Amino acid sequence: MSNRKVLVADDEAHIVHVVAMKLRNNGFDVITADNGAEAYELCCEEKPDVIITDYQMPQMTGIELVKKLRSTPELEHIPVIILTARGFAIEDEQKEKLNIAECLSKPFSPKELLSHVENVLQSSAMR
Amino acid sequence: MTNKKQYILPAGLGLIGLLAAAAIPAGGTGVFEVLLIIAAVGVTAYIGWFTFIDRKFLLAQFEGLKNDYKGQREKASQCVKETKDLRLQVQLLKRQKRNTEAIIYSISDAVIVTDANDRLLMANEPAGVLFGFDLEKAALKLLDELVSKNELIKLITSSRKSKARHIKHELIFDSAENPLVYNCTISCIYDDEDEVCGTVAVLHDITREKEISQMKNDFVSHVSHELKTPLASITAYSEMLVDGEANDEKTRNEFYSIIQNQAQRLNRLIEDILNISRIESGLIKVNKEALSTALVVRDAVQMIKGYAIEKDITVEDQTSIVFDQVVADKDMISQVVINLLSNAVKYTPNGGKVTVNSEVDESEGVARVTVTDTGVGIPSDDLLKVFDKFYRVKANNKCAKGTGLGLNLVKQIIEKVHNGRVFVASEIGKGSSFGFELPLAAMEKSFAG
Repeated sequence: MSNRKVLVADDEAHIVHVVAMKLRNNGFDVITADNGAEAYELCCEEKPDVIITDYQMPQMTGIELVKKLRSTPELEHIPVIILTARGFAIEDEQKEKLNIAECLSKPFSPKELLSHVENVLQSSAMR
Repeated sequence: MTNKKQYILPAGLGLIGLLAAAAIPAGGTGVFEVLLIIAAVGVTAYIGWFTFIDRKFLLAQFEGLKNDYKGQREKASQCVKETKDLRLQVQLLKRQKRNTEAIIYSISDAVIVTDANDRLLMANEPAGVLFGFDLEKAALKLLDELVSKNELIKLITSSRKSKARHIKHELIFDSAENPLVYNCTISCIYDDEDEVCGTVAVLHDITREKEISQMKNDFVSHVSHELKTPLASITAYSEMLVDGEANDEKTRNEFYSIIQNQAQRLNRLIEDILNISRIESGLIKVNKEALSTALVVRDAVQMIKGYAIEKDITVEDQTSIVFDQVVADKDMISQVVINLLSNAVKYTPNGGKVTVNSEVDESEGVARVTVTDTGVGIPSDDLLKVFDKFYRVKANNKCAKGTGLGLNLVKQIIEKVHNGRVFVASEIGKGSSFGFELPLAAMEKSFAG
């Protein structure tokens, strides 16, 4: 079975670097983007199994990215984990409507993020 | 008044006199003389009595007339006094009216006074401007003929009907630029029977307060985001080190270095916030010395080059070195130049160019530093506000992160601490020029002297 592919999108290079390293160390394939528009293009090309995206990014925010994914038939099912430095940015209603799997506040623990990725992949495999 | 009694006696005596006169030709002597004497005595007595009685009568009449005259005179003077009082009262009321008008006219808020039938009794100029009516022609007109804001008319009517002492409501007026927000307070005026005989509406412009409140909310949101971002890196890399995820020495060193840089970034942000606060409260320590802005610019360009290279942006320093032209705090001016340069790099697309120039303008008596970029530019509506604290250009929000503090700090340092001036010019899609002027050292000395 091939490695699961995760897309990490954040305009903070250090965050992308640390998340990618944690995931790679635990057997994931990782692709990265530093803005929403690039992340969307990568999704179309690479069809990742899960997406981890920052909320506030230039060109296209995390939420705008999710909205665009949900309106693209071949990408609408991809589970998304949002990282946000704004504690109150996402309402539960919006989270449900856009089918956002998890919303984690920065600062976050890479260990916890990894376990969320594993849980999300497990529950999406069960569907 | 005629007293008939007073004619009886002279008439009687006259008759006796006539009889005596008639008796003379008859040859009667004794009777005639007696009668004549009686008549003479009688007439004399009468004249004396009549004179006395009539005088009394006349005196009484005179006294009566005198009293009448006195009464009339008193009445007249009473009338004069009352007229004077009324005139005074009218003057007093006119003065009170003028005072009330002066008070209402002096209020900078829009004030509208209406009667029990919702007719306009009084309004001040801000009200005329806000609702677009002519104050001189507006008196006693129905409010709905003057004011197109139905919401306000409804509020005034319902306030009058409910007899509530005060009603407060926020009203939004759509204007050509931004919507204006007014805090509207309507108070009822009561007569002696405690019935509402009118209302006073006061409209206070709270647009600026609303903007500041929004800016503060945005600021908290931005600052928390800005603080959390380096903190997120520090937390994540520390955890990786603790968990032994950095496998080799090189990776560990890289992680240490990232943690250190992010901690410094966090500290710079906190320093920016504190510096603005210190300058505003006048608590900052300023170390002014003779220095060359050109040298400060040269050092700042060296510091920013690393960041510019990441974005493939060239930074060109066109400055020729002139020594000691200003008296300023070196660290602060250095921070100003770095802020302007890093903004220029931040808002310029990859491959662009940033030019910096420092010159001495002797005719103006200033040293001028200008940072020009080939960046995204700033909409003209935002240009005046870019130096405001927490203000961020919405159209450029997506280009780069920021707190809206950097340019405010520049303005505070240049204008408040160094008595200089900041300036900006921009064209959308072509780029922006930010800069500042500081008084030349020679000018400062001559001012001081």
